[in-house]
Amino acid sequence: MNIYIDGIQTKVAPDETILEACRKAGADIPSMCYAAGAEHRPSCMVCMVRNEDSGQMLPSCSTYPTEGMKIDTSSEEVQQTRKLAVELLLSDHRADCEAPCTIACPSGLDIGEMLCQYDKGDFAKAKSILASAFSLTEIPCDSCKGPCEKVCRRGTVDAHVQIKAIVKEIAAMEDIPAEAKPELASKYSKELFSSRLGIFSPAEKARLKESVHSKSTCLHCACLAKDDCRLRDIATSLKIKTPRFGVSSLQPFKAAKHITAQLVYEPSKCIRCGLCVYNTNDGFTFSGRGFGMQVIIPEESYTNVTEDIAALCPTGALSLEH
Amino acid sequence: MTMCSEDCLQKARQKEAAIQRADAIIERIGTTRDKIIPLLQALQEEFSYLPSDVLERVYLLTDIDRAQMMSVATFYSQFRLVPYGRHVIKVCNGTACHVKGADNVYDAFRRELSIEGDSVTTADGRYSVENVGCLGCCALAPAVQIDQKIYGHVQPGRVTEVLAEFEKEQQMTEQAAQQRQNRPPLGEVRLGMENCCQASGTAAIYEEVGRCCRDLDLNVTIKPVSCIGACNQVPMIDVAMPDGAIYRYPNVKVEDVQEILLNHFNTGSAVRRLRNRIFRSLDHLHNDSVWGSDVWKEPAERTRTINNFLTSQERVSTEGYGNMAPLNIEEYISCGGLEALRRALTGMTPGQVISEILDSGLRGRGGGGFPSGRKWSMVAAQENPVKYIICNGDEGDPGAFMDRILLESYPMRVIEGMIIAAYAVGASEGIFYIRAEYPQAVIRTRKALQMYRDMGFLGKGIMGSDFDFDIRVFEGAGAFVCGEETALINSIQGQRGFPSHRPPYPAVSGLHGCPTLINNVETLSQVPYIIRNTASRYAAIGTDSSKGTKVFALVGKVNHGGLIEVPMGTTLNQIIEDIGGGVEGGAALKAVQTGGPSGGCIPASLCDTPVDYEALKGLGAIMGSGGLVVLGEDSCMVDVARYFTTFTSGESCGKCTFCRVGIRRMLDILDRICTGKGKKKDLEDLEYLAESISKSALCGLGKTAPNPVLSTLKYFRDEYLEHFQGICRTGTCKDMVVYQVSQDCVGCTKCAKACPADAIRYTPYERHSIDTEKCTKCGLCIDECSYDAIKKVPIKTALQQ
Repeated sequence: MNIYIDGIQTKVAPDETILEACRKAGADIPSMCYAAGAEHRPSCMVCMVRNEDSGQMLPSCSTYPTEGMKIDTSSEEVQQTRKLAVELLLSDHRADCEAPCTIACPSGLDIGEMLCQYDKGDFAKAKSILASAFSLTEIPCDSCKGPCEKVCRRGTVDAHVQIKAIVKEIAAMEDIPAEAKPELASKYSKELFSSRLGIFSPAEKARLKESVHSKSTCLHCACLAKDDCRLRDIATSLKIKTPRFGVSSLQPFKAAKHITAQLVYEPSKCIRCGLCVYNTNDGFTFSGRGFGMQVIIPEESYTNVTEDIAALCPTGALSLEH
Repeated sequence: MTMCSEDCLQKARQKEAAIQRADAIIERIGTTRDKIIPLLQALQEEFSYLPSDVLERVYLLTDIDRAQMMSVATFYSQFRLVPYGRHVIKVCNGTACHVKGADNVYDAFRRELSIEGDSVTTADGRYSVENVGCLGCCALAPAVQIDQKIYGHVQPGRVTEVLAEFEKEQQMTEQAAQQRQNRPPLGEVRLGMENCCQASGTAAIYEEVGRCCRDLDLNVTIKPVSCIGACNQVPMIDVAMPDGAIYRYPNVKVEDVQEILLNHFNTGSAVRRLRNRIFRSLDHLHNDSVWGSDVWKEPAERTRTINNFLTSQERVSTEGYGNMAPLNIEEYISCGGLEALRRALTGMTPGQVISEILDSGLRGRGGGGFPSGRKWSMVAAQENPVKYIICNGDEGDPGAFMDRILLESYPMRVIEGMIIAAYAVGASEGIFYIRAEYPQAVIRTRKALQMYRDMGFLGKGIMGSDFDFDIRVFEGAGAFVCGEETALINSIQGQRGFPSHRPPYPAVSGLHGCPTLINNVETLSQVPYIIRNTASRYAAIGTDSSKGTKVFALVGKVNHGGLIEVPMGTTLNQIIEDIGGGVEGGAALKAVQTGGPSGGCIPASLCDTPVDYEALKGLGAIMGSGGLVVLGEDSCMVDVARYFTTFTSGESCGKCTFCRVGIRRMLDILDRICTGKGKKKDLEDLEYLAESISKSALCGLGKTAPNPVLSTLKYFRDEYLEHFQGICRTGTCKDMVVYQVSQDCVGCTKCAKACPADAIRYTPYERHSIDTEKCTKCGLCIDECSYDAIKKVPIKTALQQ
């Protein structure tokens, strides 16, 4: 059958969705709750297009074409609707994309990742990250005022992580080899959208103080999926800087749980698209409704889930520890 | 040591017994996944909540797994995973109750029962208090339900009294049970106690009956029965004798009770002087319409109001109002019932039935107004051999109770309409989806269905034709969104009430993937009239685009609220003034809210608009299912918008972003505005959100959810702007006012006695003053003050003083 995508007549198969048809025809439609080959139901509303005849906005991932349909994928109205959907998702997304220390570092050191490896005990990798940012013989931290420590979230809980001291400690590990790799340097750029966690409530501070006991005391703010997050990519491409409606969420944040040895679930990053619900059998499920709706998994069901589900998750809510 | 093992043994035995009970229920209901909702309902009825041990049995014995259980049990508000108190107090938070101060009633119960913090249950586990969507007793607002009993007009000051009354009744019930064990009863006294006809007076009668029976040592069963539809004839009692005779007494006064009882249960007693009077009223009963609203009184007593109330109406769905028993099929037949069904089955082809409906111009009464005939033809055109028909009785709009009354009082007619529809589209199975909050409607519908079956009007070969069809009842479990047809279907299939993206429409692929016709209760109740009286006669009623009549629940600040049926095209002013008798207390009309959370507020200046799908839509409101909430000058329109947004936010299914997060963000903004914290940008954001959500949400409910906000922004924008200035002109927004005592105070001390928070010092003969730190702004003092001396003053003004 024939439909018109942005005014251009296109031949489409009746059993492919408008999203699939438009993508084939080269129209760039973002989407979050859709994954090719997986069971999905429309929820994110980021893939909106407009039916030019009826003026209706449609989730393209779940709408099938009809003969002669005129689809608008790129008008201002469509763009604004998609942007609002993303802004709304971000307003319920209380999480840091990047660690604040990494953003702050004037030398481009990926401090968050370095502390991660340090706490894991992989000092070689930690040292390589260091070596990728600057020469180990001339550490710039000595002359730096340490903005990393000033923005450290742990600092708002009790005391900031001793980042400068840890950098020196790692640099001084003589028997450990270090190899500078450009990909290990901080990839943070101001062009990228970066979600911010905001400030902790007193109750949250108390919980974190009790529960986080890493070697460095680091809270590991950076998202495991920061380089592979559709929410972030789409927010960046829509040129969103800060969420228009502020950020407030009912989800427990920084409450990551290991579902399997490597699979980590962090509810505060979930956009409730349901891909993990629809694609596991007696695994993830919804709980509650409305704004308080969550994706949960009862402990008894952990064994019903495999790690490949992380690949379906469009955000860092389900990710594999690396 | 032995003590412990005794204890342990007993616990083990109890657990064992509970498991046996659970297993029996599972066996009775079934083990497939689509049975989850009826199964959980049955288990909760048995155990009062869903204990985890019991759920383990479900996992073990059925196809239901943990994922489905969590998903469903946490979606529907009916299900409880933690134990509740022995008695549950449900404070109605429907629109009518809200505008009459339901928030304060909820607070008053908590205060009275000393429930604090996050808990909803008293320390001794006797009571739990919760807010519920709408009990459908809007004419009695504010309404409260304790267990099965409904109390009307519960102002915060009456809370103590209501609890005492309930406790007393509990004792009486226990005593009555004991009494029954001792000797056979002489007869039964039945009182309408269950629904909205249980006006405040019935409770006193109930108590008096109990007292008399005790004092006179009469062994009579006192049986609370349901509303029989004559709300303006209560208190009414029926005396049922062992031989089956029933004597009905309308408008009973407390002082009549003893004589009535003696008349029946104490033969030869000397109460002849009353007898004549009673017989006179009995004559009325048996000669004239049993429930005629205006037949009870002598003509001289009839007021103009009642005449107006009735004559301005036109009956289609509620035909027979005033003289037909809800569950008497013979009577229904004698009044022309089943005539339409006979005509359709024996003299018309399905195609002819559909074209009759098409010609009648009937449109869906559930809210959308889609032409019913077109919907029917779509389903009829499908080739699938299995088709379903669903009657949508999930009336979730707060402030609406039309479907409840239709199912309780006219179940015969709705069923007849449904069978005709099934015949027209070729459906083989029908399902009544009735919301959980309407137990009486469920019972009556089930009974009516059984009567149909017994008489061969349901089942195989109906009325000698070759048409086979049967209907079952599915009880909803508490979710407003299930009124949306795709969500409703998912709910019947044992899933969360998530709407699905349309197309495909249910007419093509609905229940179990088969073509499904979904019609609202009221729509189906109009069908028999059309078939019986022809489409042209039906089409003669109403306007060009909206045919027939519409049933409304006229509630809020109106003098004579209730269920009304008017021809399409009647203006809102006619409804309020002629039928409703004007705004309560003679105040000025401010606005009318139509269509519940999906509708809008129409300002008084536009109330000469006729009731018509297009006309209402043009004003930014909708016909909706038929709630008409009258708002007076003392209603804050921003608060009304916030109220509905709170409702939809809580009832949003959570599936799509616009509804789940968008409505919440609208609510955040409204909360800020109503607490005097609004920022300039807020109004712009609110409008942008509202417009975008109405264009882009996934389902009809999401799309219409911003209507209350959009319509109030359109017509009452100045009130929003005032809130930014720190002024709520009606004083409804609590956070923006303080209570102050004016110079009119004479020092009568009534307010000080009434104050539950000890915020008013007891100073006889002196002007009182209110400690604003302690004051909870519950309004009790204002209600009590005879001198109108307590004022709500904007905080800003108070600070300047």
